[in-house]
Amino acid sequence: MPWGFLEVLESVRRPMNTTRQIRFMLLAAAVSCATVAVGQKVAPKAPTAQDWTAVAKLPDFTGVWEAGLGGGAGRAGGAPAATAGANGAATNGPAAPPAGRAAAPARAAGGGARASGPSLTPAYAAKAQEQAKALAATTRPEDNLTANCLPPGLPGIMGQPYPMEFLLTPGQVTIVIEAYNQIRHIYTDGRPLPEDPDPTFYGTSVGHWEGETLAAETVGFAQVPRGITFPYSDKMKIVERFHLTAPDSMTIETTIVDPEALTAPYAMGSRTLVRHRSWTIAEYICEENNRNSVDEQGKSKINLANPNASAK
Amino acid sequence: MKLSMKQTARRIIVVAGLLAGAASLALAHHSYSAFDMVELVTVTGTVKKLDWTNPHTWIWLDVVNEKGVAQTWGIEGMSPNYLARRGWSRTTLKPGEKISITLHPLKSGENGGTWVDAKRPNGETLKMGGAITEP
Repeated sequence: MPWGFLEVLESVRRPMNTTRQIRFMLLAAAVSCATVAVGQKVAPKAPTAQDWTAVAKLPDFTGVWEAGLGGGAGRAGGAPAATAGANGAATNGPAAPPAGRAAAPARAAGGGARASGPSLTPAYAAKAQEQAKALAATTRPEDNLTANCLPPGLPGIMGQPYPMEFLLTPGQVTIVIEAYNQIRHIYTDGRPLPEDPDPTFYGTSVGHWEGETLAAETVGFAQVPRGITFPYSDKMKIVERFHLTAPDSMTIETTIVDPEALTAPYAMGSRTLVRHRSWTIAEYICEENNRNSVDEQGKSKINLANPNASAK
Repeated sequence: MKLSMKQTARRIIVVAGLLAGAASLALAHHSYSAFDMVELVTVTGTVKKLDWTNPHTWIWLDVVNEKGVAQTWGIEGMSPNYLARRGWSRTTLKPGEKISITLHPLKSGENGGTWVDAKRPNGETLKMGGAITEP
């Protein structure tokens, strides 16, 4: 009989006879061997008291931070040549979208024509123009997939008008993001960036401390809405520098490096977060009562059916 | 219960200040394309229920229209996460209480919209983009 994962779970719930106990122990041994094999790659070790002491000496990033409305006063500037309409935002709303707002990727970049925008390589400028042309030929999307509760990738997820909590532990900085209940891991244990990472929303991040600044680099990005309005390659790297500018004020500078798409690093500007000592991160289950949606044609809808759908 | 409905199209500039906070916040989750962000409608009725839920609160308001027909309006508000840090709680609006809510109506013509402002019968205004109340 195959000894599957569900059976392991089941064995936890009911008493085992001797045979089952032996099989369970064998499985446990196999699992721990596998863990060691994987572990040899990154060589993690149990943190020592000394490691924790070192964490205590790092800049105090602890607690809950928020950029405030629309990504805060320190919202990333220098948006590429994209307007509220061009990145899929409401075209009739009174406010420009926050910097971190997820946009459908790669729209109307304009080939880096604006001084404040990214400077695209000829190949990617052509790509941007093609995409802009394709967009112009269709009905402009009224919304993007965040309306369907799909979280935006990095860097958009860092610009949400919700707080984030920073957790510093030996070898890792963890960012708990309230918006969409998301989480980021920045490994500070000295491991290198992966050479061929699976593309994901937030990529794979490693970081190190340069004095009082946490410098993080992230690679491995899937082509998902992430608040970047120009076409980017799978070589894109996002560089973030986190540092305290006052006891309860943190600045994050974000720069995009992409040897295929950009002729020079594109500095998105800095964002300032304010620490709120009394806050805790709240639950944000977007699917709980989401009455917004956007369909494949980009048409946004509001569902007013069944007011009693929510139990709360 | 009497319906007081003022359908007054105003320039965006007039309401921009009022909306500045609200609009940019909710934009994190969705655009406002489903709403007529120029038109303002005020509906007066009885709170049926407040959905204290993510990604948005929903206020369901029983309103009697000019023809005397009872209708339920659905009004989208800020998230409970946002509101809880700005003086609201899940009992700020209770079933059965009267309130006038000003909203940007749905373009679809359905009985719904996005919250702009509200007034209780005692004159107290109820905003969603207020100052942070927890340090």
